[in-house]
Amino acid sequence: MGEKFHFPKDLYADIRIEEKYSVNLMKFNGELVNDRATQENGALIRVYDGKLWYTTSTNELDRLQEELDALAELAQPNPAIYDDPAIRLLEVNREERLLYEGDKLEDIARQRFTDVIDYYVEACIEDEMPEVNSWSVSAGGGYVRKSFYSSKGSEIVYDYQICAGGVWYTLGGNGEPMNCGKQLFGVTPEDLIGHESEILAERERYIDFLKNAVDVEPGEYTCVLSPITTAMFAHESFGHKSEADFMLNDPVLREEWTMGKKVGSDLVSICDSGDMPNHGYIPYDDEGTKARETWLIKDGVLTGRLHDSTSAAALTEELTGNCRAQDYRKRPVVRMTNTFMKGGTDSFEDIIADTKDGIYVYMVSDGTGSATFVMNATVCYRIRDGKICEPLRVHMLTGSVFQTLFDIDRVGSDFELFDSYTCGKMGQMVRVSAGGPSIRVRKLQVS
Amino acid sequence: MTIKEKHSTRRTVSKMSYEENKPKAFERNNSVESSYRVYDGEKVGICYSIGEIGDEEGFARAQADPERARPYPFMPEAGGQRKRDKSESTVTDRELMDVAGEYMKYLLEKYPQFTFSGNFTAERCRYTLTNDLGTDFEESDACFGAGLMFKHKGSRDIIDGNFGFNTRTLDDGTIFRTMADLYLGSYETMAEVPEEIVLCIQYYSLTETIANELDAETLALGTSRLTGKVGEKLFSEDFTLEHDVTDKETWFWKFWDGEGCVIEGDKLMLIENGVIRTGYSDKRVAKKYGVPHTRSAGRNYADLPFPGGLNLRIRRSEKTIRELLGGRSAIIPLNCTGSPMDSKGNMSMIINSSLLWDGERVVGRLPEFRVNMNFFDVLGKDYIGVGSDDSPFYNDKVILIKAYRV
Repeated sequence: MGEKFHFPKDLYADIRIEEKYSVNLMKFNGELVNDRATQENGALIRVYDGKLWYTTSTNELDRLQEELDALAELAQPNPAIYDDPAIRLLEVNREERLLYEGDKLEDIARQRFTDVIDYYVEACIEDEMPEVNSWSVSAGGGYVRKSFYSSKGSEIVYDYQICAGGVWYTLGGNGEPMNCGKQLFGVTPEDLIGHESEILAERERYIDFLKNAVDVEPGEYTCVLSPITTAMFAHESFGHKSEADFMLNDPVLREEWTMGKKVGSDLVSICDSGDMPNHGYIPYDDEGTKARETWLIKDGVLTGRLHDSTSAAALTEELTGNCRAQDYRKRPVVRMTNTFMKGGTDSFEDIIADTKDGIYVYMVSDGTGSATFVMNATVCYRIRDGKICEPLRVHMLTGSVFQTLFDIDRVGSDFELFDSYTCGKMGQMVRVSAGGPSIRVRKLQVS
Repeated sequence: MTIKEKHSTRRTVSKMSYEENKPKAFERNNSVESSYRVYDGEKVGICYSIGEIGDEEGFARAQADPERARPYPFMPEAGGQRKRDKSESTVTDRELMDVAGEYMKYLLEKYPQFTFSGNFTAERCRYTLTNDLGTDFEESDACFGAGLMFKHKGSRDIIDGNFGFNTRTLDDGTIFRTMADLYLGSYETMAEVPEEIVLCIQYYSLTETIANELDAETLALGTSRLTGKVGEKLFSEDFTLEHDVTDKETWFWKFWDGEGCVIEGDKLMLIENGVIRTGYSDKRVAKKYGVPHTRSAGRNYADLPFPGGLNLRIRRSEKTIRELLGGRSAIIPLNCTGSPMDSKGNMSMIINSSLLWDGERVVGRLPEFRVNMNFFDVLGKDYIGVGSDDSPFYNDKVILIKAYRV
């Protein structure tokens, strides 16, 4: 690749270039309301003098050297910059990993996306749908090619592509609408095809829910969480707490997060890895660190946390490849990638059959994770005598994160990884995936 | 005949960031976004560019994409000339770093039991719209902003609360110090959750929810909770909601919509004294459903416009916040999560921590509790009002509503 930039003396610097292409088409009630293809190129330049990071973003990729030089003028030269603990940790990697050259999004004809939309309109939209007030079908995708160059010598180029689509319905009416549908993912438009039976089954489930759901009696219940609910719990309620940038100078949190501490039942293992071909795929993070598998909890014991170079240096731990930015306009911070709770050995049917009285949480919309975590439920069912019974209208599931990790007593073998997540932190959204199996939690507050 | 039109946004942002009490980064971002559009009365060709590409190339690209020429049976607006500059001052990068340092020094000296992370930002933005029909619009604004997250050093949570504000002119630090003292001064004093729950919050997420329900297309399709209720009195007599882009109420907001349309008087009444007056629509929705065109299109530089672009304001009461409270205390949430509305408009909220304010001083911090609310009641029987004054907790207007502990 050769030397592309003249980096300033006595300063650390890196340049992250992003070339992005995205496509989005959507039909709403039969009318094409979105049809766009967007190209966006930009770069973020960082300079560090041991005291402060200086950053600038630009769309003018032919002026990167000038921007770098101007930024370096703001910093104070530091001859010992490469002895700085964070800079010393930074890896030097050189690799070109381009996986999508054959079928890159910008080379895919628009017709292949309209074919996907036509396919689902044919398969999932009937002339008469009495319970459906409106519908939409979409197809599109995004491609990004990232290049990273650092004054330590890193030269990395990699790409990532995802195609996404979905069929969505708004049910009900008469002032009580409810949305349902299914999002689809793949690498090419054709990967999105063939899911009509799942979509129609989902629609039927929600129609039944809307007709028959009853309000839950608030209280404490044994809950069986579906894989997508477990995935959200692992990400929102636990994953964010494992991001190390909030505990650098905090003795209370450091003690709370002492490695080797038992924090959950023996059945609980949670991992983060950027090197999986999923929505959180980043073979290198935005500091040029190679992605790796980091077990946050193994068999109920705290074994790891997620780092950028600053937090790893402050806590004298290894880099984990979790320094990420939303895009070239943002400075990278510690983020998750693909985060999942490991599957177990129990079948879903056995877990339900073994639950005398409880609630099956089929779908949640979102969640947050303070010491008390919250998940907002959309579709739940009552469990009685080992059987799934009537649909339940539930607003919230809450519990103490660490107590809940101890209260997990069954873990299913039905592990799934979901690529439908976008995670927000400090005003930045990044693509992630989250996964898990069905699990049973002895008690959660339900309202 | 074809008409050319160009929308553009030029933004400059400087940001000083702190992480766990220490300066972390100084960031500078400059961006230019443009949307070149070529209309023929049946279709529109669009070229969206990020970064400078030059007008000639932009219009050429907009014209040269027949595959994506979107159906758009409307012509752009002949809006004449209008310019508005709401910026009051410029904060230089040096001033930004100095002010950030000064504010952080205040926090660290006065509140050593807390850890702070956050940003201090200076932002400047200029929007323009020009077309072959003589439209020449320009809107500029600039502001300084502070946003801090705090964590008590004894807390097991990663964040215990946050506060912040925006202002067009830097003051002598009074706004920041007052706000910090309100949030942190009595944080360590515990108080009891009052019997009557009155929440004092900014109302933007609530007005966003109302906006979703007032989209003329969702009203027409029956997918809104307000379908069939236009003209009915559903809410409190004291509740009036307007789209408002007058000088006083805009904040980084243009006086024209995503299709270049301007509302007469810069205001659109949506709900008046509890009565729903109208839904809102762009040109497509107005034509398709035969409803009034309210000049409410969202900005979509890369594609067709869509209904939206609302700057919603709840009309302020003539009473101050304290007068509206009438001797009651208000709860200022610090950490909370709300559930989305269910199909009946019911919502729950878990308030992990909050402050109890008696209208003059902070009484203390409240333990975790949960409340239930209903969308229709929040704007109806549980609506108390929006005070005539700004709340020092937000340096902004606030809504007072009743909620019910569960």
